Amino acid sequence: MDNTQTRQITVLQTAAILVSTIIGVGVLSLPLFAARAAESAAPIITLIGSVIAFFGLALVTWLGIRFPDHTIIEYSEQIIGKWLGRLGSVFIIAFFAVLTSLTAREFGEVVVTAVLKTTPVEVTVIVMLMLAAISARKSLTTFAYIHNFYFPLLLVPCLMIAILSLNNAEIINLQPIIWSPANHVFVGVLTIAALFQGSFILTLIIPSMKQPKKAMKASLYGILIAGGLYIVIVAASVSVFGSEEIKKLLWPTLELAKATNLPANILERLDAAFLAVWVTAVFTTLLSSYFLTAYAMKQLFRLREHRVFSFILFPFIFFMAMVPQNVTQLYGIIEMVGRYGLIITIAYPALLLLLAMIRKKRGQM
Amino acid sequence: MLQTAIKGGDRMKLIKGYRRTKQQKQPKKLPANHTLAEFEGKKLSGSLQELEGIIDSTVGKSADLAIRKLHVFGRFPAVMYSFSHMVQQAVVNEDILKPFMHAPMHLQGRSIELAQLPDILLYETLYHGEVQLQGGIDLLIRAILGGDTVVAVEGMKEAFIIGTRSVEKRSIEQPATEQVIRGPREGFIESLGTNLALIRYRLQSTELRIDSREMGSRSKSKIAICYMDGITDPEVLKELDRRLSEVEIDGILDSGYLEQFIEDNKWSPFPQVQYTERPDKVAANLLEGRVAILVDGSPLALVIPTVFGQFYQTVEDYTERFLLMSAIRLARLVALIFSLVFPSLYVAIISFNPELIPTEFAVAVAGGRAGVPFPAVIEVLIMEVSMEVLREATIRLPQQVGGALSIVGVLVIGQAAVAAGFASPITVVIIALTTIGSFATPAYNAALALRLLRFPLIIMAGIFGLYGIMVGLIVIANHVLSLKSFGVPYLSPLVPGDKEGMKDLLIRAPIKWMKNRPAFLHPQDNIKLHVEDQAPSPSTGETSPEKR
Amino acid sequence: MKSMAARRSLQLFGVLLLFVPVLSGCWDRLEIDDRAVVLGVSIDEAENEEAARKEENEVSHVRGSLPPPKEGMVKVGVQIALPGQIPLGPGEAGGSAGSSPNRTVWVIHVVGHSINDAFMNLQQQVSSKLFFGHLRIIVISEEVAKKDMSNINDFFRRNAEVRRMAWMMVSKGKAFALMNAAPRLERIPTLYLMSTLDNAIKMGKFPKDYLGQYWSNSSKKGQEGFLPYVDIKEQDNVEIQGLAYFCGERLVGVTKPMEISGFLGLRGINPAGYRAVVLLDKDDLTTAVMTNVTHRHSKIDLSIKDGKPYFKIKVELEANLAEKMGHGISLEDPASIAMIERKQEEGSVQFYKNIIAKTQSKSSDIFGFGEMVRAKKPGYWHQYVGSKEKWQEMYKQTTFDIEVAVRIRRIGMKAI
Repeated sequence: MDNTQTRQITVLQTAAILVSTIIGVGVLSLPLFAARAAESAAPIITLIGSVIAFFGLALVTWLGIRFPDHTIIEYSEQIIGKWLGRLGSVFIIAFFAVLTSLTAREFGEVVVTAVLKTTPVEVTVIVMLMLAAISARKSLTTFAYIHNFYFPLLLVPCLMIAILSLNNAEIINLQPIIWSPANHVFVGVLTIAALFQGSFILTLIIPSMKQPKKAMKASLYGILIAGGLYIVIVAASVSVFGSEEIKKLLWPTLELAKATNLPANILERLDAAFLAVWVTAVFTTLLSSYFLTAYAMKQLFRLREHRVFSFILFPFIFFMAMVPQNVTQLYGIIEMVGRYGLIITIAYPALLLLLAMIRKKRGQM
Repeated sequence: MLQTAIKGGDRMKLIKGYRRTKQQKQPKKLPANHTLAEFEGKKLSGSLQELEGIIDSTVGKSADLAIRKLHVFGRFPAVMYSFSHMVQQAVVNEDILKPFMHAPMHLQGRSIELAQLPDILLYETLYHGEVQLQGGIDLLIRAILGGDTVVAVEGMKEAFIIGTRSVEKRSIEQPATEQVIRGPREGFIESLGTNLALIRYRLQSTELRIDSREMGSRSKSKIAICYMDGITDPEVLKELDRRLSEVEIDGILDSGYLEQFIEDNKWSPFPQVQYTERPDKVAANLLEGRVAILVDGSPLALVIPTVFGQFYQTVEDYTERFLLMSAIRLARLVALIFSLVFPSLYVAIISFNPELIPTEFAVAVAGGRAGVPFPAVIEVLIMEVSMEVLREATIRLPQQVGGALSIVGVLVIGQAAVAAGFASPITVVIIALTTIGSFATPAYNAALALRLLRFPLIIMAGIFGLYGIMVGLIVIANHVLSLKSFGVPYLSPLVPGDKEGMKDLLIRAPIKWMKNRPAFLHPQDNIKLHVEDQAPSPSTGETSPEKR
Repeated sequence: MKSMAARRSLQLFGVLLLFVPVLSGCWDRLEIDDRAVVLGVSIDEAENEEAARKEENEVSHVRGSLPPPKEGMVKVGVQIALPGQIPLGPGEAGGSAGSSPNRTVWVIHVVGHSINDAFMNLQQQVSSKLFFGHLRIIVISEEVAKKDMSNINDFFRRNAEVRRMAWMMVSKGKAFALMNAAPRLERIPTLYLMSTLDNAIKMGKFPKDYLGQYWSNSSKKGQEGFLPYVDIKEQDNVEIQGLAYFCGERLVGVTKPMEISGFLGLRGINPAGYRAVVLLDKDDLTTAVMTNVTHRHSKIDLSIKDGKPYFKIKVELEANLAEKMGHGISLEDPASIAMIERKQEEGSVQFYKNIIAKTQSKSSDIFGFGEMVRAKKPGYWHQYVGSKEKWQEMYKQTTFDIEVAVRIRRIGMKAI
């Protein structure tokens, strides 16, 4: 029995999907990006990055509210024509496939460097991708449930580590809160904004939302929580380590977990435990981008089921994940792909929205 | 002679028909009771001789069939059939034979025609509550099989079916698997009638509906579906009806058979139907908008739709003070999680991440493990398996020996294993905690599921450490999240969130706070509790304590 | 529909089955008793370069291919826990550990060109895999620290197993002696060392200065790192002898134990634990009293004076009177308490000034004054300082003004 009405997803669930999609493996290196760009002003530029990301998400949301029954794959064809729209969709699909593989690879590298030192990175990548591929076969409702369920698992460890590290925090490390002209703030802001790109999944969610009109509320909540968490993490690591030390660490958040111990020495260091819990966060991110890729392909090819694509995509994504030769190269690619991806996740929707307004296209409600 | 010929022909036809249906892929019917199915629709002719022949060829071969010939009012020849051990002899003598054979005072002297006889017997002489007149031969035979007494009179086209069934049953006892300290002490027994009475006695409402049906082509088991009209979601009932109608089995001997037919996902280790032997629990579930299914011959009622939360909740949660029971419920939840992840966590920390535990302890653990030849995974697996064996053995043992063996077994084996260098002392502690933890879960079937899932987790921990445990847990969680029981997501009210249901999930809120029924069951009538903002009066109408 | 579900499950199972061979390796499983749990590491200079080169085998490089580094080769000593020697749980073993010291751990040493090289040489000799997850103590000899710490810091920072909550310390004399020491209070010697320092923090005798903090401090542009300076005594006990302060990655000086309290006072770190002798009358020894500082508070005001940073530091100390050495004064008189306060204030100002001057002379700003300039006067910082090296120069010219206020609150159970 399936009393699944098509529109089941609530505002809170949408916000949870956004948060757990946004928060992922990026958090581990986020303080590094922020501190590199702005030193002690890292929290502020994280805030600016979140605002930019919100602007991009708002564009997608407006589009979604304008076409409450369709995803970007469908309405882009209505707005800019069949072939141009399809071209855009192909770019979206390719971008998210790359994003999926980079996320899997990045986390695989973290795990292999920090915990499972002799396990081949291929294995950790395969395991994560398998997890995502199997779960991406489920329906959109289950997809929403999964995000909803893991949502608290993201907040708790982050907040816990931030609170526990307050013990060693020094306010002076966060001063001055404004960056100096010498910093490359602009690039850093873009890199941070790129960490929010998973929120593009919203375009898939809106057609299944109970009240698509409230999507803006959901995206606001989503960015508020995710951005807030980012700022908390960045502020915590900068205040504990100081920006200069962060620049020397590949994954400052993980190092923060290492420097933290639970009261009464229950666990003496939290890095392995944090990484273990973080598997869920990475999983949700991976699931979203994988799901988005498969679902977008389904819509592009006008199929009824997105299931088929989950395993068809698997080898491609896996091989893409194996392309970067080393960690340094990997991070170079991640930063580059992230920044250029903003064209797809912010500029492209902006263009669509503009054209939709000019051509007065809108979906029926 | 004639009948046998017909019978043979019929049988041929029947077999052919059966084949045909099979070819046409129609819902296939098991031809269970050949000789009974033959008489489907056949009416009583009035000839006792013919009836005798039919009975003789169907149930007559059984030694326990009692055939008693008599003359009604001394005039009309009649015959009485019953399975002698299933009927109450005193009732047969006093309430059947006597009024049949002995015409009452006011009738004496009146001449009675055959045509009048059924009415006279039914309205004037038979003083028994369950009497009906039936003409279909199959119905008569079925009634005999069910323990009723059939009386046929020569020349009458219909025979009397008199309810005399009396099967020995045990008395109502305390439920063995769901004992409570505070709460009713009654448990279901095997007899469906008694069980229904136990429920109806608790819910004396016009809204309590009991649908009955027969299932099992051979066993003809009676099944009762109970629900509250006006509360229960009709969709659930419709779906249940659909699933029940698809069941084609020769015998339903226990509600467990039925459970496997109506559950959503049979590959899942998680139970998707709750069973209980407590009438009060059934009543509370009915009030929440669930449906209960009782099977004649089974002391366990099924309750649908089921969500995971029900498995760690007990009746006492609602009868005791909410603060204490909330704490105890949390403890139960901890035990549940313990029993699932504790051994794998141990393996992961010992074999992969010993840096997590305090240095003193780590060094000591290394010392404790120093003589053990196996890796921690193998050690834990061996101990877990032997624990399962021990537990299973304890269930099978006679009660007098069982208790002694379980304690001796655990103590001696544990101690000896450590002494022999077979396991480290800490492993024994871990295994003991896990085992105890799995007993703290009130629902046996849910505990079983988690007990089994522990093993893959241990293996995952042996391959990938903490990372493997998380991957395993994610797989389990995703599976649970995709489960549904009759359209209700399995993890409701947690996912998808339901404010009203949350009050009764991890903690149990005061009953006064739970004004509405949990929304995930889609009840038609949402309001459970009418409270004015005043001091609680002892006679608040519908504040029947809710239990699951 | 049912059969479809079954087929789907079977398919899924099949796909999973394909991955079984991939997953069947237990690459990283290493039992805790199969690990050589390194509890402490000592780093010394190799005494005799030639002998060391002979001793070193060709493990990570062919002999002669790598010239010895200009700092000289290193001698690394490790303390490895012996599983089985340390009994599980508390119990009778506490006494026996005392009677047979050095049995719970295994102390060995190797030489190498670099830290990692030395560890590779060590691994060649030890059957179990070296495991640094429980490394609690890293002792570095003064000589090594004076030369260069960058190789040491790099190795330990890069290794994911090493915890940031470990202690790094500089030893007077040979660091290896500390590995060999067997203090009687703990079963495991390094844990004794660790608890010495941890308890010193709790008693207010030492600032929090875990490895991670040392790293952070020495990374900062306006601050230098410092480490505890320890020495081993006759009874295998360990004494904290002061702060070893660095300039960049090099050790440049060591304070006296008393001067740790100066550091703590200037930074206003609580709890306070040092006691001071206050002599009221220079010539009369009977007027000496000891005060026990219980609470410290410091306020640092930064301004720019003559183009140089100028710090105005106000330290407030709350103290109790702990001991009177003679009968020269009576505490019944509030004036005498006020006098003690005054005297201690005078002494303290000088004391603090000396410490700062000492670090200034070595351009080692362990207090983080430079960080304050960076944080509070970013404009000035970017215009005139901007880098670590420049601040090291600037620190020498920085001026300070120190004010101390001592408040004696209690005099104990005795009335006079």
